[in-house]
Amino acid sequence: MFNYTFRWNQALNSLPQMLEGALVTMEIAILSMVIGISIAILLTLFRLSRNPLLVGIAATWVEIARNTPALFQIYMVHFGLAGFGIHLSPYLSLLIGIAFNNAGYLTENFRGALKAIPDTQTRAARSLGMTPLQAFRNVIMPQMLRISFLPMTNQMVWAILMTSLGAVVAMNTDLYGVTSELNARTFRTFELFAIAAVIFYLITKVITLSARLLAARLFRY
Amino acid sequence: MKSALFTAGILAATAIAMPAQADKLDDIIASGTLRCAVVLDFPPMGSRDESNNPIGFDVDYCNDLAAALGVSAEIVETTFPERIPSLMSGRVDVAVASTSDTLERAKTVGFSIPYYAFENAVVAREGIEMASWEDMKGKTVGATAGTYEAIWLEGKVKEWGEGQFRPYQNQADVFLALSQGQLDATVATVEVSEANVKSGNFGGIKIVDKAPMVPDYVALITLREEYGLINYMNLFINQQVRTGRYAELYKKWVGEGEPADLTIPGVYR
Repeated sequence: MFNYTFRWNQALNSLPQMLEGALVTMEIAILSMVIGISIAILLTLFRLSRNPLLVGIAATWVEIARNTPALFQIYMVHFGLAGFGIHLSPYLSLLIGIAFNNAGYLTENFRGALKAIPDTQTRAARSLGMTPLQAFRNVIMPQMLRISFLPMTNQMVWAILMTSLGAVVAMNTDLYGVTSELNARTFRTFELFAIAAVIFYLITKVITLSARLLAARLFRY
Repeated sequence: MKSALFTAGILAATAIAMPAQADKLDDIIASGTLRCAVVLDFPPMGSRDESNNPIGFDVDYCNDLAAALGVSAEIVETTFPERIPSLMSGRVDVAVASTSDTLERAKTVGFSIPYYAFENAVVAREGIEMASWEDMKGKTVGATAGTYEAIWLEGKVKEWGEGQFRPYQNQADVFLALSQGQLDATVATVEVSEANVKSGNFGGIKIVDKAPMVPDYVALITLREEYGLINYMNLFINQQVRTGRYAELYKKWVGEGEPADLTIPGVYR
């Protein structure tokens, strides 16, 4: 028998708190994407360089970020670094963990995008007298970002959903943390998590729809 | 003819008069297994020994309850935030997991009478200067999410208006964070604090003071509408004290001092 009596009022009363948590979640996701994209562009440059050390750094980062669980990465940033004396707040550990993960996946996205750009572009740019870095910045990078724009929104949605892993590092101000705390206090599990799921869905839907609109506008020929 | 009709009528009446559902006490005895939720990172109430078997005061109580019912005990390991959800979802029959009997929880689950009482202590990192529990003001404190101490501590941090509160997912993470310096202080039961300080697993922590909460009475929990089982558990707890088993288990797992008085003077139950 379904042993549960629904009490929606109690859960709906906590909606303001959950919306505040949603704001923190968005903040973390956006910041981690910005940091992740910057690091990913850097790692792509490392990969294209001739220096074996830089290529090695980029390869290691991508391997670790893509082949270990995000939960593990966030946990290591918080507890592992603390073992070496570096103390990070839950917010920072979550942010750094997600940014680390993002950078790895985005570098692979960019690699795929680079493969879609023909060699002739680089050669034409170099023959105009640009240095390799200028060629990358002015000719290749815009095309690369344009091709990987929609995969990047994929990663953004994933970053939003990954913020829920903050529970293991005592993050209690993001959407999942707030919901979990309310649940521990009132035990309205089904109602609270249903509302949180709807909020997550709305956030990600808004992001994907606005990304598609942006792409239609920005990338018109 | 008439007697045949009469017999058919009696049979039909008894069939309708049968109870629509048996209660949980009958279900447990019929199934032959008592599934208890026990928290196993909470020495001395629940922990694991070297061969990874569950041991502890709560584990022994679960075994005693199963023996009294004439069934075998199945220990289902849960974490503190998971005790009540596992009961509500039907994963366990009872939770012998040191659950404090707060009124908020009583809206959802059914509590027995208390079977143990904890005093809480403030545990701090060795480098921090703290004379009493009030020195927690303005510091970074934490506790296990969803526990009585965590709710009290969070309320205090909000009241003081300064300092930070961090809820970790289990007791082990709290003490790890404390010994690493991520937390300045935490509140935990005296038994757990002493066990952890003594074990040396978490270096650099010390017990500072008793926390000013009323003794934390913990009870067995089951579904709210299972009155048969709740009454049985009440009698079981009474018999544990009466026969001296409570004192015996207290001595085995906690050691020094007198086992806590489980009555509140001045009120009947």
